[in-house]
Amino acid sequence: MSDLGIVWQIARRELRERGRSKAYLITSVVTAILVVGLILVPRLLDGGTDQYEVGSIGSSNEAIIEAAELLVNANDEPDAEPSIAIATVGFSDRGQAEAALEERELDAILIDGSEVIVESVGGFGESQILSYLQRGAASVELEAIVAAEGDVAADVIEVMTSDPLETSTLSGQEAGDESRGAIAYAGLLLLYGAVLLYGTWILSGVTEEKTNRVVEVLLSSIKPWQLLAGKILGIGILGIGQFAGTILIAVTTIQLAGIFELPSLNTFAVVNLIVWFILGFLLFAVMFGAGGSLVSRMEDAQNVALPMSMTAVAGFFVALATLSDPDGVAAVVGTFVPLTAPFVVPVRAALDAIPWWQYAAALILTVGTIIGLVFVAGRIYAGGLLRYGGRVKVREAWRSAAE
Amino acid sequence: MLSIQDMHKSFGDVVALDGCTFGVERGSMLGFLGPNGAGKTTAMRSIFGLMRPDSGEVTWDGQPIGLDQRRHFGYMPEQRGLYPKMKVHDQLTYLGRLRGMSTKAAVAAADHWLERFGLSDRATDPLEALSHGNQQRVQLAAALIHDPELLVLDEPFSGLDPIASETMSDILREQAASGKAVVFSSHQLDLVEDLCEEVAIINKGVIVVEGTVRDLKDAAPIRHLELEVDGDATALLESLDGIRSIESDGARHHLVIEAGTDVRGLLVRAQDAGRIRHFSYTAPSLSDLFREAVR
Repeated sequence: MSDLGIVWQIARRELRERGRSKAYLITSVVTAILVVGLILVPRLLDGGTDQYEVGSIGSSNEAIIEAAELLVNANDEPDAEPSIAIATVGFSDRGQAEAALEERELDAILIDGSEVIVESVGGFGESQILSYLQRGAASVELEAIVAAEGDVAADVIEVMTSDPLETSTLSGQEAGDESRGAIAYAGLLLLYGAVLLYGTWILSGVTEEKTNRVVEVLLSSIKPWQLLAGKILGIGILGIGQFAGTILIAVTTIQLAGIFELPSLNTFAVVNLIVWFILGFLLFAVMFGAGGSLVSRMEDAQNVALPMSMTAVAGFFVALATLSDPDGVAAVVGTFVPLTAPFVVPVRAALDAIPWWQYAAALILTVGTIIGLVFVAGRIYAGGLLRYGGRVKVREAWRSAAE
Repeated sequence: MLSIQDMHKSFGDVVALDGCTFGVERGSMLGFLGPNGAGKTTAMRSIFGLMRPDSGEVTWDGQPIGLDQRRHFGYMPEQRGLYPKMKVHDQLTYLGRLRGMSTKAAVAAADHWLERFGLSDRATDPLEALSHGNQQRVQLAAALIHDPELLVLDEPFSGLDPIASETMSDILREQAASGKAVVFSSHQLDLVEDLCEEVAIINKGVIVVEGTVRDLKDAAPIRHLELEVDGDATALLESLDGIRSIESDGARHHLVIEAGTDVRGLLVRAQDAGRIRHFSYTAPSLSDLFREAVR
């Protein structure tokens, strides 16, 4: 059988054994349920109409409340329930109204269409009614100003809820490209999760073969690199499959529930995310595989994983900094460090904030590092696999490896 | 033919192999003996490239051994190891495939060996569900699945009950008879004596004794003599030259004597001394040779 044929045999065993294992099926189902839940639960909690009670003293309050409702609900979907409803409670005595506000029976008090009283300002949510009423009042005033021209209330509301200024950007993004940031962030989270989750699978899978000594039987007829490559390929397919499945379920849920419009993705954005996802996964998978070969017991595997996990965490944070400042020092440095590049570069590219030469340089550096690591990690792996006992030192593993 | 030439290997300050040389022909079976830590496992692992020697070489039919040859070798390591959760039949098929068999051939071979070991009904059980003895059988099947030209087994008899040992012996005999080269290590010297024509004894990384069991016995410098006569044998025994040791158990005397001693004369004189109840003259056992060699 050819070298690659053997790699595929090993990958196939991982796919069959691990793919049918309870652990894999359970994590897949649980992840799917979690994702659907995370999408739907806020929606369910968020659904329905927010009810407000406003005390009214004197005249001219009705028009403001009506305009406030209209303005806020103007953005609702045609068939949806209105976002807010404001009920009016008439008071003749200001003292009584204030007492009711104090008791939180009211959210605000309007007086003669010119004054508003709320319990306090600055808290979350509480001052929302204040801004609604302010906008309502502004629109009523506008309406009064143009009243001479006839009934223009509807026109006023339309103007006030639209973005009349045409927007363009220096970076060439189109208006509405804000979603690029969200995509970059989602891609970042996915890579980070995949590196830590499936990297650990690879690590424990390698250690497991050492623990149950099957590695000696295997290596009597195949090369160490074939074993490592097959494991990474098999677990990689399973991991990426699980991820793709989860993403598919998430997208379908969002579509079916009509939660928000998914941003349309251009080909480059998709290819960019996939390429860097695979590069990042490979980079860490090779390191986790070599790490796993250094220990013979599962208990020791955690310690070996630490440097790799910390590197991934560092990459994640540099990429977070990049999200808010895609041209900053951290972003540029992170681009040229191959261990952080898979986190940083796709974010910058998604935000259209990376010069092409930096993108190309990062790509070459990262691919070069992966090739170098395959050689280094492959040798550590070969040397570490057949040494038992405590934790094998990297140097020992390197030296004892057969050519 | 497998040949290991002047192999040296040290792990730090510990010398595991110190000029180890031995070989085994196709169609013969070599018992590889030695005290714990003598270098048996290290030497066997070197055949599979699992250990890189400091110097020396391993050849098969005169050629250095590469992965292509190793795929035609079977190995049962001292530390048994297969996937505990993988089904027995899948496991054997997988190992057959890794050594270059077609899926069809690997499946047929797995069927054959499971049937041979009486494990056909356990084919779809995970390995860990089998008893210790049955796991050993599967491990042997894993070494045999691809019909190897050379079979290297590290302590194949350890932990086996007498029946399982018998099966193991039968299979090893069969394999050698069908033209395979077989090497196995063991501490059960009586069993090796029954099974092997040839033995090699390794001590401190060097082969100290090598040859057919018969030649080794013939060449041994000592013989065992057991004698029991009615009447006093003391004077009789004192007349014998070349005695290395005497142990007496009542009227029965156990002697270790030099190989060249004139036993016939002793027999004649013993008949004069009284009625002979017991007389035996034997070459040393393999255990004796072993003890002598590793002293």
